Amino acid sequence: MSAPGRRQPNWRRRITVSVVALALAFVVLAPLTSLDAAQQAGLPLLTDKLWFRLATTVAMFVVLASGWNIIGGLTGYASFGNVAFFGLGAYTVGVLVANRGWPFPLALLAAPLVAAVFALIVGLPLLRLRGHYFAVATLGVGVAVGEVVNNIGPLGASTGLFLPIVRSDIAFFYLMLGAAVLAVVTTWIILRTRFGYGLLAIRENEEAAAVIGVNTTFYKVAAFCVAAALTGLAGGIFAQWNSFINQENVFAISDNVQMILMAVVGGAGTVLGPVAGAIALELIIQTLAGGGSGAVYSQIGLGVLLAACVIFIPRGVIDFFGGRSRLSLRYFRQTLRETSV
Amino acid sequence: MGLAVLLAACGNSGSGTPAPSTGAPIIFGAAVSLTGSQSKEGGLTKQGYDLWLDWINQRGGILVNNAKHPVQIIYEDDQSNANLSATLVEKLITVEKAQFILGPYGSSATASDAIVVEKDGIPMVESNGAAQSIFSHGYKYTFGVLSPANKYLTGVLDMAATLSPKPTTIAMLAANDNFSLEVAKAVADYAPSKGMQIVFNKSYPAAAPDVSGLISQAKAANPDIVMNSGHLAESIAINKAAKQLGLNAKIFAYSVGPSTPDFISALGADANYVYDGSQWTPQVKYRPSFYLSVADYVKAYQKKYNSTEPPDYHVAESTAGCLAFEKAIENAGSLDPSKVRDALAALDVMTFFGEIKFDSRGINIYKPMVVEQIQSGTHYTVFPAAVANGQPQYPTPTWSSR
Repeated sequence: MSAPGRRQPNWRRRITVSVVALALAFVVLAPLTSLDAAQQAGLPLLTDKLWFRLATTVAMFVVLASGWNIIGGLTGYASFGNVAFFGLGAYTVGVLVANRGWPFPLALLAAPLVAAVFALIVGLPLLRLRGHYFAVATLGVGVAVGEVVNNIGPLGASTGLFLPIVRSDIAFFYLMLGAAVLAVVTTWIILRTRFGYGLLAIRENEEAAAVIGVNTTFYKVAAFCVAAALTGLAGGIFAQWNSFINQENVFAISDNVQMILMAVVGGAGTVLGPVAGAIALELIIQTLAGGGSGAVYSQIGLGVLLAACVIFIPRGVIDFFGGRSRLSLRYFRQTLRETSV
Repeated sequence: MGLAVLLAACGNSGSGTPAPSTGAPIIFGAAVSLTGSQSKEGGLTKQGYDLWLDWINQRGGILVNNAKHPVQIIYEDDQSNANLSATLVEKLITVEKAQFILGPYGSSATASDAIVVEKDGIPMVESNGAAQSIFSHGYKYTFGVLSPANKYLTGVLDMAATLSPKPTTIAMLAANDNFSLEVAKAVADYAPSKGMQIVFNKSYPAAAPDVSGLISQAKAANPDIVMNSGHLAESIAINKAAKQLGLNAKIFAYSVGPSTPDFISALGADANYVYDGSQWTPQVKYRPSFYLSVADYVKAYQKKYNSTEPPDYHVAESTAGCLAFEKAIENAGSLDPSKVRDALAALDVMTFFGEIKFDSRGINIYKPMVVEQIQSGTHYTVFPAAVANGQPQYPTPTWSSR
């Protein structure tokens, strides 16, 4: 806990900020070049269909990792069941649009609600558990919800649900980007309120938090519900964007593992850590996918990289590049001491 | 659009010979699982595609307007992840400039990819997803060469109706996944038209470890035909339980297990007399109008992959998908995606895999499933008689007299 942030030289901070600002401006503005009007005006096409697909996927994982961060990073409850909220959000939109003929925007409003209500119901009993017990119980919930959905006829059973195809890459990109911004802003606000301090207190020492007057049950359940609502929102957008959902693609435990890795690698408990983790990891995964005969080795490489990140920079990429680090051996030695028993 | 794609393809290749009769390479894209849980089936799919690729390029390529276009297949590994598969298909179309898409392995990936090609207006022929659900949403650009799920066991009923003494009662045990239930429902709907009735019909959770309870209930109904619509492990368990509990039927027919070598090695002599429905067998006797005969196909496979085993049906159906594209592109006389799409919709050809012809939804309902029987530890195709290489051994002797 030694080096304070202000030791970082001013110029380095300025460069970082301007690079991030430029990247952000590109991400927000570049898609506009794909509009018909821009193409007719002779602007270069900066974003093709693949760009949209990747960018939307990355934005989606920013939401998922940030959502997980609120319960796992801020509150210290490692949930392996957040994917259930994603799936419930997706199925809410799926059922309302495909079976009931609701307009998508209206159905999308219901997605975070359903996910949050479900979080409230399972959160009350589950959040009494701690550590491994909580992790295993939520893993059970994640798997069970997927299996139940898989066996309910009106939900398409194992066939899944097909939604009418909507041909607008740009709309879904901005929608998912909006959800990502919402997730980041929500985290930022939480960390600046009494609620956020309460969550941090619970993470550090739940008994002590209760003693100083934090209503721990309420705080934990509320955090779980906020995380669920954000995750459910992303699921709802995914359902209409992908136009096909089934147990395999919206209740995948691997997605849950992925969101945890992103938050942890990026920096759990911070505002921008999950964002950095989601962007970095998702881009690596997507680049490695498809790599022909070398695919196996690149996946092994990814595994080694993740292990190295967890061992050597447990406070995340954000801390490593933006915080107290000076890319020194001392940093690694120190973090290694912190993580070793 | 078609011209632009063509020009882009020209620019990419750089190795095309300048002979006037040679056109630009045609680029096919395929996102198959080369790693992950479905890597075995994904590998078989790739084998089927590559087998055709060698053959067509030996002949100089696909003939379009008197120019032979060599073929290139660009593969991407979807790691057995359906969401990744969709992104990769988008990558194949956008970045690799694939003009046509060959399907992935698995129903989920196929459904996700179908939506991508539908949005982009690029035709896809898929060879490895037999669920009909993909085809009931009015998609125009996805075609499937497989016989759909509802045909899997109805061929056994067709065969049973020709046997004497004719079996009339059926016990159906179905796994409760979508595909298996679709198979079972089709049997229940079809049986009355053949003068047969379902006397026992139960579903069980997929991969059910213990089926003896179900078998003893089925035994009480005394069926002539015992059918299972499920998976390899369950078909083995059902056959074992039938022996232990003395359930004697004239026909035992299981949807997917018996065609695999594992079924025979697990059950030994008890595997004899068992029937199954199969998309294709190396023994069928179709008379193809182009490409290889069945025997030559088996030889080509064994040579290329240095194997003594005949090709798995996954390999054959994947090759069949390529054949559909080849003929459709030739018939269209164009590489324009929408013209090739229309030519696929109008296609009607006989191949080593059977007839390929799509209904208005894009499903190949015209190819029958064949019925196989295990006789003295060997697979024989026994129905339809026109393509069979053996006679059904009927009725199945009782367990005590074997």
